Amino acid sequence: MASSSTSAVSERRGIPAAAFVEDVQTYLTQSGLDVNSSLAFLQERLQQYKLVEMKLLAQQRDLQAKIPDIEKCLDIVATLQAKKGTGEALIADFEVSEGIYSRARIEDTDSVCLWLGANVMLEYSCDEATNLLQKNLENAKASLEVLVDDLHFLRDQVTVTQVTIARVYNWDVHQRRSKQAAAAAAKDS
Amino acid sequence: MQQGGGSGTEVTWEDQQNINRFGRLNNRFHELEEEIKIAKETNENLEDASNELILTDDDVMKFQIGEVFVHMPNEEVESRIEQMKEVTSKNLGKLEEEKDSVLAEMAELKKILYGKFKDSINLEED
Repeated sequence: MASSSTSAVSERRGIPAAAFVEDVQTYLTQSGLDVNSSLAFLQERLQQYKLVEMKLLAQQRDLQAKIPDIEKCLDIVATLQAKKGTGEALIADFEVSEGIYSRARIEDTDSVCLWLGANVMLEYSCDEATNLLQKNLENAKASLEVLVDDLHFLRDQVTVTQVTIARVYNWDVHQRRSKQAAAAAAKDS
Repeated sequence: MQQGGGSGTEVTWEDQQNINRFGRLNNRFHELEEEIKIAKETNENLEDASNELILTDDDVMKFQIGEVFVHMPNEEVESRIEQMKEVTSKNLGKLEEEKDSVLAEMAELKKILYGKFKDSINLEED
């Protein structure tokens, strides 16, 4: 699984990959940046990644809420279908307004109406409704899976960037120390 | 996962991948803890519901399906709750199992990463 990450791909669905830095010195020379501007650049990248992460997490929450909703729809359609042909009506208490309930008898029914959105409601036979809902459920699950993969990819980029920042910083500290040591040694001699 | 100090240990692509993997696992671990908590709560609620069902004198219950409360004979409610309990318990078992394997892999990665970077790397929660 670890091999499915960064170096091979340069982006995923519009998210740029963070390049892994083999050697800090070479990275700085090649990019032509000094330590501070390279740190600033990396920090900015990190912020951008965080922004995308928040967006994706919101999408994930939406989908995670949508899936049980569809499952509930399937459940009630199945219940209606099970009642069909038993000669019994389905008696249900339903909310007419917030906190106010009334009782309904749903006699043998072959169809339900699905709210399709955009102010459109369509009558479906129970079988058709089940098929449609099932398809919606599968789509939602598939989108969630893609989204989770996107998030994984994104988090890898965040980690790479964080590690790179730490390494550039450490490299700088190291560099200063050896310069200081060299200067001190020069003074002594 | 920030590195402190000024140690000169080189970070290779392999190390980076291990760190990434650890990050992912840590994330998943927190997700799993949350999911397990929810599954446990659901299980308890179902348990409470079936206990209440035993105590009641009514023959017909109102059982929520979708957005409405369907009138349903007790036996049917009972079998539905049993079925739901079975699903959540199975789910809970799967989550616990995944949590164990995530923890095991994290421990493995910790060994490798601490082995190489010593105290230049911190893999613990704050």
